[in-house]
Amino acid sequence: MPEKILYQGEHLWAGNLGFLLTAVLFASALLSCVSYLLSDKHPSYLSVARIFLVTHFIAAVSIFALILFMIANHYFEYQYVWQHSNKSMNMQFLLSCLWEGQEGSFLLWIFWQALISLVIYRKLGTMEPITMGVMMMVQAFLSTMILGTYVGDVKLGSSLFLLMREHKDFMNMPFLQNSNYLQTLDGRGLNPLLANYWMTFHPPALFLGFASTLVPFAMAIYGLVKNDYQSWLKIGNRWAFFSVMILGIGILMGGAWAYEALSFGGFWAWDPVENSSLVPWLIMVAASHSIVINLKNKGKSGIFATHFYSVSAFILVLYSTFLTRSGILGNASVHAFTDLGMQGQLFLFITFFIMLVVWAFQKNKLLKIVYIASSALFLALAIIIGYKKIFLLVWSGVSVVSLVISYQKYYQNQKEENSSSKEFWIFIGAMLFFIASMIIIYFTSIPVINKLFGFNKAPISPLDYNRWMVPVSVFIFLIIGFSQYLKYKKTDFSKLKKVLLIQFIITLLLTSALVFIVYYKDSTATTIDKLSYCVLIFSTIYAVAANVNYWLNTSKKNKYTLPAAVAHSGFALLILGALISTSRKTAIKPFTESTGVSSLSKDFDKRKSILLTQGDTVKAGHYFLVYNKKEREGQTVYFKVDYFSETKSGQKKLEFTLYPKVQDSPTMGKAADPDTKHFLFYDIYTHITYADLNDTEKTTEDTEPTNYKGHVKDTIFAQNAIVIIDSVYANKTYKEFEKNTNDLEITIVMKAVDVSGRIYKAHPKYVIKDNTVFPTTAVIDELGLKFTVWKLYPASEEIEIAMSENTKKKKDFIVMEASIFPMINLLWLGCAIMTIGLLMFLIQKVRK
Amino acid sequence: MKKVYIIALAVIAIGIGVIMTSLKSTATYSDFKEATASPDKEFHIVGKKSNADEQVYNPMVNPDEFTFYLIDQIGEKRKVILHKSKPQDFDKSEQIVVIGKMNGDTFEAHDILMKCPSKYNDAPNNK
Repeated sequence: MPEKILYQGEHLWAGNLGFLLTAVLFASALLSCVSYLLSDKHPSYLSVARIFLVTHFIAAVSIFALILFMIANHYFEYQYVWQHSNKSMNMQFLLSCLWEGQEGSFLLWIFWQALISLVIYRKLGTMEPITMGVMMMVQAFLSTMILGTYVGDVKLGSSLFLLMREHKDFMNMPFLQNSNYLQTLDGRGLNPLLANYWMTFHPPALFLGFASTLVPFAMAIYGLVKNDYQSWLKIGNRWAFFSVMILGIGILMGGAWAYEALSFGGFWAWDPVENSSLVPWLIMVAASHSIVINLKNKGKSGIFATHFYSVSAFILVLYSTFLTRSGILGNASVHAFTDLGMQGQLFLFITFFIMLVVWAFQKNKLLKIVYIASSALFLALAIIIGYKKIFLLVWSGVSVVSLVISYQKYYQNQKEENSSSKEFWIFIGAMLFFIASMIIIYFTSIPVINKLFGFNKAPISPLDYNRWMVPVSVFIFLIIGFSQYLKYKKTDFSKLKKVLLIQFIITLLLTSALVFIVYYKDSTATTIDKLSYCVLIFSTIYAVAANVNYWLNTSKKNKYTLPAAVAHSGFALLILGALISTSRKTAIKPFTESTGVSSLSKDFDKRKSILLTQGDTVKAGHYFLVYNKKEREGQTVYFKVDYFSETKSGQKKLEFTLYPKVQDSPTMGKAADPDTKHFLFYDIYTHITYADLNDTEKTTEDTEPTNYKGHVKDTIFAQNAIVIIDSVYANKTYKEFEKNTNDLEITIVMKAVDVSGRIYKAHPKYVIKDNTVFPTTAVIDELGLKFTVWKLYPASEEIEIAMSENTKKKKDFIVMEASIFPMINLLWLGCAIMTIGLLMFLIQKVRK
Repeated sequence: MKKVYIIALAVIAIGIGVIMTSLKSTATYSDFKEATASPDKEFHIVGKKSNADEQVYNPMVNPDEFTFYLIDQIGEKRKVILHKSKPQDFDKSEQIVVIGKMNGDTFEAHDILMKCPSKYNDAPNNK
């Protein structure tokens, strides 16, 4: 045992308080849950449950405040503080530091759900016991994720309040042997990629979105347990749409962040982490619309679907959490969290709530018991005797079968909707959203399927996602368009014919015009893809046209229909913008004269990278690019790139300047940040793919000359040019030389081609006079090249040349890529309109 | 026929389609041996870069070509030609996935994924 070190300057009170508060957080959630569930039969427990609920909220807020205090005061003895912040950090990123790590983002999630619980509990009336019981149950489970205690050998959660010297990954660090280590210790700091304002707003929006799916979940469980399919719809409706709005904003902020500040090359990459926030949103859209229909029909239509979607959104939030935080995605995602050793805990979390859902759906008491008993049995067997995969599959099978059996019960006393009714088509639309979400989550889960069945499948490519999503979206937008004009119960089409026909013609005209402008002809996509893009353009334009038309005419008479028309047209615009900018994203390709060095490469057509040497002009697409200089500002290196256009008279006109940058952090590595020039109809997106970040003006000496021996037309590679021995000529023939005199002057023509294809020539000479050799040196000043003819070999016709390079003349260069995203502003416009529509809807509901 | 059955059939059809897509998708994680056996198929090869061998990136000649050697998970080493610029963080990367096809003895990759210590994640970097 090493001697116990008396550490100085540690603030142990903070950690102790933190652990205490975390324990209170967990215990109060659990006690509140239990008392709420008891209060269903014994109302006297209700006040106790509420006290614990408030306690839970206070604990969550206190932990939040405490950890912020610790970060602000640089308590680097704590691992979380050390890992996510440092002394030089700007205090505006204080919050970002808090939720950069996994534990912090769990805390954010817990905080939002605690806040929502506090807001909602008084409004629930008789629904309070079960609804709040379920919500507190979730809180209890979530709280274990940041407990950081051991139950036997099993570690429960990962704490925010662990000391560096107690953390198993860091406790052996040498500086911890010094009792005064805190004097000099600085934190590792926030990842420079995350040190921007996006990181301040994106996670809270996203986690508020995740947290808000809990309300429809808990309320639907209440409905199922109490066979009360109607009472909860009114409140559930608001929260479902709130969730659609906030989660939507969170996801789109993520997309905007990726587009503006990260070099993913777009706003959406179908990365598992992105998908796992999209899927709950899609399901929430399905849930919220089913709730609307059910609200209209007094809880009598699509009971199963409504409850099923409402619970699924939250279950998918849990499943996404499992995917992104358990480390199971491995190589499939670039930005999943790493495994904190909580795979088992996360797995139990999700299985427990799936069991709760399936149990709640069973109407038959016996089936309920059989399901729970068999599930518990499988789980126990899996833990005791192993064969986890088999038991997991059997359990999944049993759960699905149980759900299907229960479905029948809900369907029995329902009549079918008329296929000309509005509700029928909204249900179909909602179902398409659900199907879309299932397709995405299935593809995203390929790493899980690999693990279960021992497959070795690589992730599905973005193109495959698009190919599946395009046809589903086509139907969705057609429904979004025409269902506005349908009536509840039954629609009389004779009145509608004219309107629908006019809309169809207008849409067809607009689509043709747009397809003509967008011009798919030179696109590399396959014919089927192009065709399906055109069909989707048609259906999104139709949805916009139909909804705007509705908005202008019908909504005047009935103001309650306005928000839906606004939100739907916004959503259609969003997808239209996404479709066009993604499918017609074009690279600005380098254009080089045929003499250029680049043409030596055979696959030049595939070239995307543009090489810019400082000061030179390179033609790329319609532009002439000039790389001017680089500037270092702390950890960031900016590269100044000018975009010129050529006027008719052949003069160059500066169009705009971009500053793509590279973040160069000693601890986190290098990361390229793009810079984008926004125009009304397109964006020009530029990012550095390769650059020398150091200052280049270090050496001024010539390199040691190197000798090269070769024939005429042979090539020598210099650092910044290709050198060719072009030709040799003498002032007299060799025979004359042998016969007559002893004087000879041989000139070697050296041709050098620089990166922009410019040709330079030098003429070193080999002079023989009075039997003495006088080699002369020739220089290409622009490239810093120096040539001396060393020796000639008349027999083999070889020439030996000494070449030296002056590295000061080696110009700085960057390799970059540039793309045009057309019509991307439609996407942002669509986002704004959709959000406004949802906001109008919510304000309308709250006022009513 | 009830509408619900038509819908159910459509859903089942979509489901089968999706599963088929994922099963038919030819790309799999593998090693150089398997990739050599089927040169027409695309593979994702997981491995580590070989520090003993030279890496060539000469943007003056071709900014879209980077050559290095990769040791796959069963220890086989092959030359990889990546048809992209050299990733800025390549030298720091620990684990690499290259995506492409085998061409004779070299692997022609059109894309690369890298797991770097402490990037996008909070893995301890305690060296």
